[in-house]
Amino acid sequence: MGNRLGVLSISLFALLFSIPILIILLSLFNEYSENWFHIYNTVLSEYVLNSFILFFGVSVGVFILGVPTAWIVATSDFKFKKIISCALVLPFAVPPYIMAYSFTGLFDSYGTANELIRTAFDTADNYVFFPSIRNIGGAIIVFSLTLYPYIYLISYNAFLNQSRDIFDVSRTLGLSKIKTFFKIGIPITRPAIVAGLMIVAMETLSDFGAVEHFAVPTFTTGIFRAWFGLYDLTTAKQLAANLFIIFLVLIAIEKFSRRKINYINNSISNKNLTITKLKGKWESVAIAICLIPIIFGFLIPSSQLLYWTINYKLSFFDQNLLYTIFNSVYLALISGLFCIVIGTLINYLLRINKSKFLSLLNNIITSGYGIPGIVLSVGILNFFLFLDESLNVFLIGTVLGLIFAYSIKFYALPNSSIQSGLKKISVNLDDVTKTMGYNKIKLLLKVHVPLLRNSYLTGILIFMIDVIKELPMTLILRPFNFNTLSVSAYTYAADERMVEAAAPSIAIIMVCLIPIFFVFKSIKETTDE
Amino acid sequence: MSNLKISQISFSYSDKTILKNLSLQLNKGEITCLIGESGSGKTTLLRIISGLDRQDSGIISYGNETIADDKIFTETHLRNIGLVVQERALFPHLNIIENICFGLNSSKREKIKRGRELMDKFNILKYESFFPHQISSGEQQRVALARALAPSPRVILMDEPFSSLDRALKFSLRNETKQILKNENITALLVSHDFNDALEVADKLAIIHEGSIIQVGEPRNVVLNPINKYIKKQFVCETGDILYWKSIINSEK
Repeated sequence: MGNRLGVLSISLFALLFSIPILIILLSLFNEYSENWFHIYNTVLSEYVLNSFILFFGVSVGVFILGVPTAWIVATSDFKFKKIISCALVLPFAVPPYIMAYSFTGLFDSYGTANELIRTAFDTADNYVFFPSIRNIGGAIIVFSLTLYPYIYLISYNAFLNQSRDIFDVSRTLGLSKIKTFFKIGIPITRPAIVAGLMIVAMETLSDFGAVEHFAVPTFTTGIFRAWFGLYDLTTAKQLAANLFIIFLVLIAIEKFSRRKINYINNSISNKNLTITKLKGKWESVAIAICLIPIIFGFLIPSSQLLYWTINYKLSFFDQNLLYTIFNSVYLALISGLFCIVIGTLINYLLRINKSKFLSLLNNIITSGYGIPGIVLSVGILNFFLFLDESLNVFLIGTVLGLIFAYSIKFYALPNSSIQSGLKKISVNLDDVTKTMGYNKIKLLLKVHVPLLRNSYLTGILIFMIDVIKELPMTLILRPFNFNTLSVSAYTYAADERMVEAAAPSIAIIMVCLIPIFFVFKSIKETTDE
Repeated sequence: MSNLKISQISFSYSDKTILKNLSLQLNKGEITCLIGESGSGKTTLLRIISGLDRQDSGIISYGNETIADDKIFTETHLRNIGLVVQERALFPHLNIIENICFGLNSSKREKIKRGRELMDKFNILKYESFFPHQISSGEQQRVALARALAPSPRVILMDEPFSSLDRALKFSLRNETKQILKNENITALLVSHDFNDALEVADKLAIIHEGSIIQVGEPRNVVLNPINKYIKKQFVCETGDILYWKSIINSEK
């Protein structure tokens, strides 16, 4: 009876979580308006082309920044390795739109970098050394610098999970360390890298803030314009549906790559990799390669933001900012806790039932992570309109609506953390506990929940980082006059008030650094085990 | 004629002495088996010979050429020393023929010719286009051996190559390996904790204990004349087949 109730509840959740996605997909069968044909005939090809260029450019960028650094950290020992290996994940704290604001301030014609060059070389006032970055090239650089930590972490783990024998044998067969990296290191971890690249591609194509700031027309900016410029929600939905189909292809590639990872990992055993102690010029080269993304992806943008904040004597911690920080954190925390509770119940039911149907439902619920925030916003808003009209339940522009949106979008993060935590708990432990007179609920509360403590912490922290950085959904679905850090930074930057945007931007980075520190520590502990 | 000479090698790791003034000579075309307990330094010695780790002191030379001492250190990929490990370590993204030809630097045609020649010797020709996870552990071991032999190494090092195989497979693979090594006239150092590997495959047996070689000789001589109680207790008597071996040796006399 209890199990049936559980399955029913999960089915309801799956349905609830799927409705916004279904609304978007079904819009493909709606009538196409004049606006759609206008977009189709004028700018749609540009959206597709720009999205395509961004996808390839950023993939190459994150690969160049993420894979060699992961290889160096996984296989070598050098000065400051511990600090550098941690610092390489710092750009995770910088959302692409914040880096875009910071880089604009740095490299614009009258930005800090050009001013410094003019002062240093005493050149004319209109001399511009650094070319403009308000273009697709600039967007590629910004996305690469903020998203490479995905590839770094995934590749680092993939390298550590390989047997050292495989690399050692390659060297005895005549390959130098560098050739071993190219001929064995990269091909053997290719499925993991491809899976990571697909995540990066999804993040890139679903971004709104950075491309909008750099005036690069993509699907997301198109959706936003159709909705808020042309006031045509149906066309916005249809554009979103097209973007969603691209995402489905990316998700399929990502899943296929993960299946390949399993067979590759099954064929080899685990021994710690041979660590080479680097000396002399090789040590300097390794440090330099690792420092490049840290300097450009974290130190420079943070310094620029700090410079603005301090130099322009803005009251950094004024009441308004504190209130905005509070909004961001409590929204992230409440939605995170909600997802932890749902995730625990669903995965526990899956553990005791082992039903394929339940597993399918859970997959549906987690699919929200692969959907761009702006696409989800369109679907959710339609769903809320329906609830408002038919049931008189008012959710548009409420905190509850935002929590619902965040849960659909980011539920996959705590879910995956809980899943891997539960896998570590032996089924024998369940059996022994049951013989001691514990029923299923007591088993969950007294055994599983305490053992899942670390998984909960990791899950909720990763969830919080993403929610605090999230922009398009918050921007669209937030209550009237309700600001979070991301919205506040965006609003100032959209009015070109970059200096005022600095305080909330730096606050996002600082708030995100705390969970990033804990998550990285927990990942390190797991890999060290 | 001495082929590979290891003189006075010492190696420590985290203040723990792993190898202590260890010396050993491998003659051309000879199969030497190094027997020792877990943690006695067998694998470390192989890693030092292949250049994957560097000794604290001592000299490794091949013929008249020093490949590692206090000043000289020839990198692993330049030593032309083959390595076979217990877990095979086949490259999972390459098929069988690509695995075997991986260390060859010749034209594609010559690579395939050499690869097929070895596959034929090891009776695995039919698996040419298979991937490592599609063949059995015994076949994987044959591929690993063929891959190490393909570039005609000066010396081949084998780390517990038969330990994860079942008894029947172990028996047949030992014989095959010995035959192929002898046919190719390759100097080999085989590391094991199983005395039977030495008795069936090796020309020479070396016993390592706490980082030093404590007895070297023909395997049957070591069986019949262990120099101390440790060897007798740890290796000779532990082997269930000792009476069988003694009877074989006696009957040959």
